[in-house]
Amino acid sequence: MITIVDYGLGNLGSIKNMFNRLGIPSLITSDIDQISSASKILLPGVGSFDNAMSRINHGSLRKVLDLKALEECIPIMGICLGMQLLTNGSEEGSLPGLGWVPSKAVRIPAQQGLKVPHMGWNKVLPTSRSKLTENLPNNARFYFVHSYCVKVEHTKYSILKTNHGIDFDAAIQNNNIFGVQFHPEKSHKFGMQILQTFADI
Amino acid sequence: MTDKNLALQASSIKMSKLTVCSRCIYDERVDGIFFDMDGICNFCHQVDTLIAEYRTGTVEGESRLETILNQIKLKGKGKKYDCIIGVSGGTDSSYMLFLAKKWGLRPLAVHYDNTWNSAIATENIRKVLSTLDVDLYTHVVDNKESEDIFRAFFFAGVAEMEASTDLAFAEVLYRAAWKYNVKYVLEGHSFVTEGITPIGRNYFDGRYIKSVHSLFGRRRMQSYPLMTFGRFLFWTCFARIRKIRPFWYLDYSKEDAREFLQDRCDWVYYGGHHLENRMSSFLHSIYLPQKFSTDMRNNTLAALVRNGLLTREEGWEEYNTPPLVEEALLEYTKKRLDLTDEEYLRVMALPPRSWWEFPTYKKLFELLRPLFQLLAATDLVPKSFYIKYCLPKKNKK
Amino acid sequence: MVRTRIIPTLLLRNESLVKTVKFGKFSYIGDPCNAVRIFNELEVDELVFLDILASPRGTEPNYKLLRDIADECFMPMGYGGGIKTAEQAHKIFSIGFEKVFLNTSIVNNPNLIEQISTAYGSQATAVSIDVKKNIFGNYKVVTCGGRKRTALDPVIWAKEAEKMGAGEILLTAVDCEGTWQGMDCDLISKVSSAVNIPVIAQGGAGNIGDIGEGIDRGGASAVALGSMVVFQKQGMGVLVNFPDKKLIEVELGKH
Repeated sequence: MITIVDYGLGNLGSIKNMFNRLGIPSLITSDIDQISSASKILLPGVGSFDNAMSRINHGSLRKVLDLKALEECIPIMGICLGMQLLTNGSEEGSLPGLGWVPSKAVRIPAQQGLKVPHMGWNKVLPTSRSKLTENLPNNARFYFVHSYCVKVEHTKYSILKTNHGIDFDAAIQNNNIFGVQFHPEKSHKFGMQILQTFADI
Repeated sequence: MTDKNLALQASSIKMSKLTVCSRCIYDERVDGIFFDMDGICNFCHQVDTLIAEYRTGTVEGESRLETILNQIKLKGKGKKYDCIIGVSGGTDSSYMLFLAKKWGLRPLAVHYDNTWNSAIATENIRKVLSTLDVDLYTHVVDNKESEDIFRAFFFAGVAEMEASTDLAFAEVLYRAAWKYNVKYVLEGHSFVTEGITPIGRNYFDGRYIKSVHSLFGRRRMQSYPLMTFGRFLFWTCFARIRKIRPFWYLDYSKEDAREFLQDRCDWVYYGGHHLENRMSSFLHSIYLPQKFSTDMRNNTLAALVRNGLLTREEGWEEYNTPPLVEEALLEYTKKRLDLTDEEYLRVMALPPRSWWEFPTYKKLFELLRPLFQLLAATDLVPKSFYIKYCLPKKNKK
Repeated sequence: MVRTRIIPTLLLRNESLVKTVKFGKFSYIGDPCNAVRIFNELEVDELVFLDILASPRGTEPNYKLLRDIADECFMPMGYGGGIKTAEQAHKIFSIGFEKVFLNTSIVNNPNLIEQISTAYGSQATAVSIDVKKNIFGNYKVVTCGGRKRTALDPVIWAKEAEKMGAGEILLTAVDCEGTWQGMDCDLISKVSSAVNIPVIAQGGAGNIGDIGEGIDRGGASAVALGSMVVFQKQGMGVLVNFPDKKLIEVELGKH
């Protein structure tokens, strides 16, 4: 059972739809008790950094998430903004991030001929080996839509990279904690593979 | 009547309590069936008679077909297309297109889209047509109307949920022929590989569709191409558009055809479960088995057994294995037909009804039997139509 | 580098999918959910749905239909048609769409662009600009499904939209729509060169070469396809399809 955390931001229905299609049970919830008893957590996110962090910091959600991630060490995956929340902080906002993966989120620099936000399908390349990504085919591509990107402090935390003028991390990992910058629920069979693999971990 | 509600049988023929044809696998539940002294059913005899009549698979059969093909080319001179071929993305029609091009014909592919096509069907059609450089004519019914008609048939409780598709296809083929002044329609039906479907649970005509729809439908029929009796007579007697079935004359193996198609254009076999169209899928894997304790796989299986491609035991066993159901098919169907779970279960539990309980053209077809006999002799109606519709039905109620 | 996007644009009319020519006469294409299922199988990059009657009739978006569509879709989707308020946009996003396309309503209320992009991000806020030549041969913006003429110049309007926070522009050459005669590269290049945000060019693409031209000569970041993805070929039957990806790559590789 995958617990999809509903903190008021993010396209939860689409994620659940994809799990449904894969035949994997999932639950969308904001209930603290249900999140506390989760065995696997998905942290979605769309919107702005500070807005998301303040919602997470509100009430006891932050405490429960820290417990699940850092003490119980259950598999947790952040998607899009959810991945940026895993960092120490973002240039987009002033609040600190969850700090679960030593990294930071920076604005994608404006460059000649390239538009920001980074929006569209893009290829990825594996960096460090990871259970989540090791079986991806060479032509794997995913749907990205974001204006800020993540740079890890040490390459060991990066598992996939991509390029939009500059290289940045498309997926990160710190032990049981994963993050993907792209939207697996919008990436067809490649996204399905990621979600399936996460469910199998 | 209780006999008819028997579900799947034990998979060994010897253990079955039903009388089963000694040659194929049609059993006593098949509407209109009777057995001769050797236990062979009338449908086997029907196929034998047709094979003899059409000289199927013989040199003479081929030569008869060649004569027809030459007529097609002759009549087609100066026109953009010389024949119409109905396509569905399935084996028969896809293969027929390759044959038509091989024979030097200039076909127009015609498709009736009931808006429930799967990607496999659409892609197969695209692949075959682009490989052969054949044009496509379609008629797409308004999706809401399509749903309304299917829904009406569902509430009517009859087996022929696909009647509207089958009849619309026939009408659209004629319309395309009329538009381009084409006099020949080629169809991929083969009585050897499919048999003649017994009329019991597979009746369709324009009056039947209209009456079921007027009783249970909620939307006006506007984009749906209804073939009324008048239109039928117009197409056959006035426009004189002929229906030719090449596989009635030639040897034809579906398995070989599939291999050929896969090789030539990456055509994909959707499995024997009608996955090319979701309404067909629903009908064959859920609706018929669950509500009517039957499905139509026995037609193809019986044919394969008759041809020696399957043993009787193998055919019977497969027939009595529950059909594969595509995941989420039922949810999709309920969503499109606007049925709540309760409504769906309630209607499915109602006793099944039969086509003869509704107004149809059947009596009219029987009355005009001499006319249709004449039309069948000149391929203006298929012989199978004459056999199924114009001969009085032996009612086994 | 982001792949150049080729986006099927599907037109909703009541609850059916249709295709128009020059925003006028329409033909039935089929069921929207069924079409989405097919595009899923074909693994297209993105889909855009435009409700062509919502603005003319002044009706709300058909949320139920959009929900049914979103349930079937595993790729990014945009929706346009009758969006007048941020609340409506919010509903569309929560159904599962990535982007909204604003057209008629923002001509009188450009603040709506800012409202939505501030709340949801510029990447979720797109502006749809339909353009027709007036009797003097000048490009002018039209609204309400092409029924109302304005005095707006598309280049000026596009810049304004960008300023207000739009993340993307869908630019449609109405006179080319449904004609298979090629895209209006003049119009496309005028607008593309005036803004920094991506421009999706629409209207008139009849073959892969036209797509290449729209990107090369027109400078578009993406191309929207209408007739090409719903008909077998010009003048022939309905067949939901997507051009051969290998051929597209070869064509795009030339530019």
